[in-house]
Amino acid sequence: MFHELFYGFSIAFQPVNLLSCFVGVLIGTLVGVLPGIGPVGAMSLLLPVTFGVSPVSAIIMLAGIYYGAMYGGSTTSILVNIPGEAASVVTCLDGYQMALQGRAGPALGIAAFGSFIAGTFGVVGLMFMATPLAEFALKFGPPEYFSLVCLGLSVLIYLTQGSILRGLVMAGLGIFLSLIGQDVIQGTARFTFGFIGLVDGVGLVPLVMGLFGISEILLNLEKLKERIILKTEIKSLLPTREDWRRSAKPIARGTLLGFFLGILPGGGAIISSFVSYALEKKFSRHPEQFGKGAIEGVAGPESANNSASSGAFIPLFSLGIPANVVMALLLGALMIHGLQPGPLILTQHSEIFWGTVASMYVGNVMLLALNLPLIGIWVQILKIPYKTLFPLILLFCLIGVYSVSANVFDIYVMLVFGALGYLFRKLNYEPAPLVLAFVLGPMLEKNLRQALILSDGSITVFLTRPLSAGSLLIALFLLLSAVLPSLQKRRKKVISEE
Amino acid sequence: MLTKKFRKIEGFSWLGIGAVICFLAWKVHLGSFQEPGPGFVAFVSGLFISIVGLIMVLSQVLSRVSSDDGFDLGLAFRNISWLRLGYTMVLLFGYAVFLNTLGFILTTFLVMWGLLYDRKKNNWALSFLTSAVIIGVSYLVFEVWLRSQLPRGIFPWW
Repeated sequence: MFHELFYGFSIAFQPVNLLSCFVGVLIGTLVGVLPGIGPVGAMSLLLPVTFGVSPVSAIIMLAGIYYGAMYGGSTTSILVNIPGEAASVVTCLDGYQMALQGRAGPALGIAAFGSFIAGTFGVVGLMFMATPLAEFALKFGPPEYFSLVCLGLSVLIYLTQGSILRGLVMAGLGIFLSLIGQDVIQGTARFTFGFIGLVDGVGLVPLVMGLFGISEILLNLEKLKERIILKTEIKSLLPTREDWRRSAKPIARGTLLGFFLGILPGGGAIISSFVSYALEKKFSRHPEQFGKGAIEGVAGPESANNSASSGAFIPLFSLGIPANVVMALLLGALMIHGLQPGPLILTQHSEIFWGTVASMYVGNVMLLALNLPLIGIWVQILKIPYKTLFPLILLFCLIGVYSVSANVFDIYVMLVFGALGYLFRKLNYEPAPLVLAFVLGPMLEKNLRQALILSDGSITVFLTRPLSAGSLLIALFLLLSAVLPSLQKRRKKVISEE
Repeated sequence: MLTKKFRKIEGFSWLGIGAVICFLAWKVHLGSFQEPGPGFVAFVSGLFISIVGLIMVLSQVLSRVSSDDGFDLGLAFRNISWLRLGYTMVLLFGYAVFLNTLGFILTTFLVMWGLLYDRKKNNWALSFLTSAVIIGVSYLVFEVWLRSQLPRGIFPWW
């Protein structure tokens, strides 16, 4: 393993990959800092830019954006009380209170150090767990993959805030949208409605940019508000010894929790930060201090979301199944670069896996160096009024989408999904299950059809194989909670505790 | 009351959308369990959406209390600047319509000018200048540095 890691470092330290890593974490921090454009938007925006570089450089940069955004998100939460991205929502609760008490420095400091420790641990875990899991996954057949995809979608829907029924509808719609274009087995065009632009299917980039980027801008444009930035002098970013004493265990717990929640399909940074906060409040001797500036409420969730962002790479690299929307986008990027994600990627394209792992070590160090001294610059960027910022974000979206295939049709697709995404969000429909189902749809279709052909049309094939049956049973149990009132109450309790 | 009514309509809408998907899937050939065709999975997804839509309708019809998910239709759409949203979307669709004809530089400039213009401040000169700067920078980044194939339109020398 260490031999492979050294090989990974030899790739990560190549100048072009170092630059990709730096650009990735820098942009990631920036989008984490700026409310209104999250890592998904930024990654889809930069996806076309990566076409000109090697797959390993592309994945290094895109991965850097993801974990960079996890670092950067804490800055706005602490200083402006607006989360830069969803995984930092919970940091607002105590981080902003600390800032009001004149302790913005230690809050930002512990967030950065906690993120660094958790991020590094997450990479170590990724390194040790991905290979054995990939070896195990080589024994999987179409029924297992089909059932795992169903499980992944069910977990995401179960953990979605809001109605399970709406989550299910979104997943169904996502699967249908993914089937537009050429049939994976017979190669015939379907559901194109006479549009030549749909023969290759709905593009992932226009869909994601529309549902997340454009809809977010429209939501922000509804009511333009001036951001109030706390006028506090950040004296020292270094936490005191007492801060470290209080934060050590929350960082350790957040790291472990985040890592394992990150692996779960449908889990990830957002959920792990909420669960970590709830956990720290339960473990604390002074739970009444939470929400009033408890440093544990910053250290735990910030560590958890960074650790989760590393853990989420495990199912992607070892099974080819994305754990969340960001990983779905990375999966799309790998496929655009002609690589088939799954267990074989670790042996056939080991440079991708080990290069990315090694670059994450390097990226974590870069982030620590970026976050602490550059906080002043991030604060200045936050002062740019949204009226000036949103046309620029829109321009990037337009150019980004157009340059994927030099086709105006993709801009229409993005705008239609932007309007739909806006309506969905206004009506309490979350777009995440749709996007994950959209990415997993072709995999689900291929494995379902292959499994049925191989079993001569017998659907018992999904129930006679232990892993497949187990996955489907868990998925069924989660979905039944939508119709059984007692289980529904328990789910609501879990989500409200988060 | 408004929200409950909406939730019923919403259920019926999904029921209808699911049925349409099933019909489209049937048209492209469903195949059989032994040999599933290109419409097989789409049919299943349409059926699934319809069933969920039906559950939504039934849950609204059978339950006497209003939905307890905290959603309020009236509140969700209150105090929205529809003019601003509509104006932005029209500009964006205009961008798609005119991009190939007018070319990247002119279309982007006009759309940026429109987006940056603030009616209350009447800052047409400042927004004009800012758009010009944005165009210059984006041309350098995308056309010169990244060599993106952006359309030149009616001005091929750009």
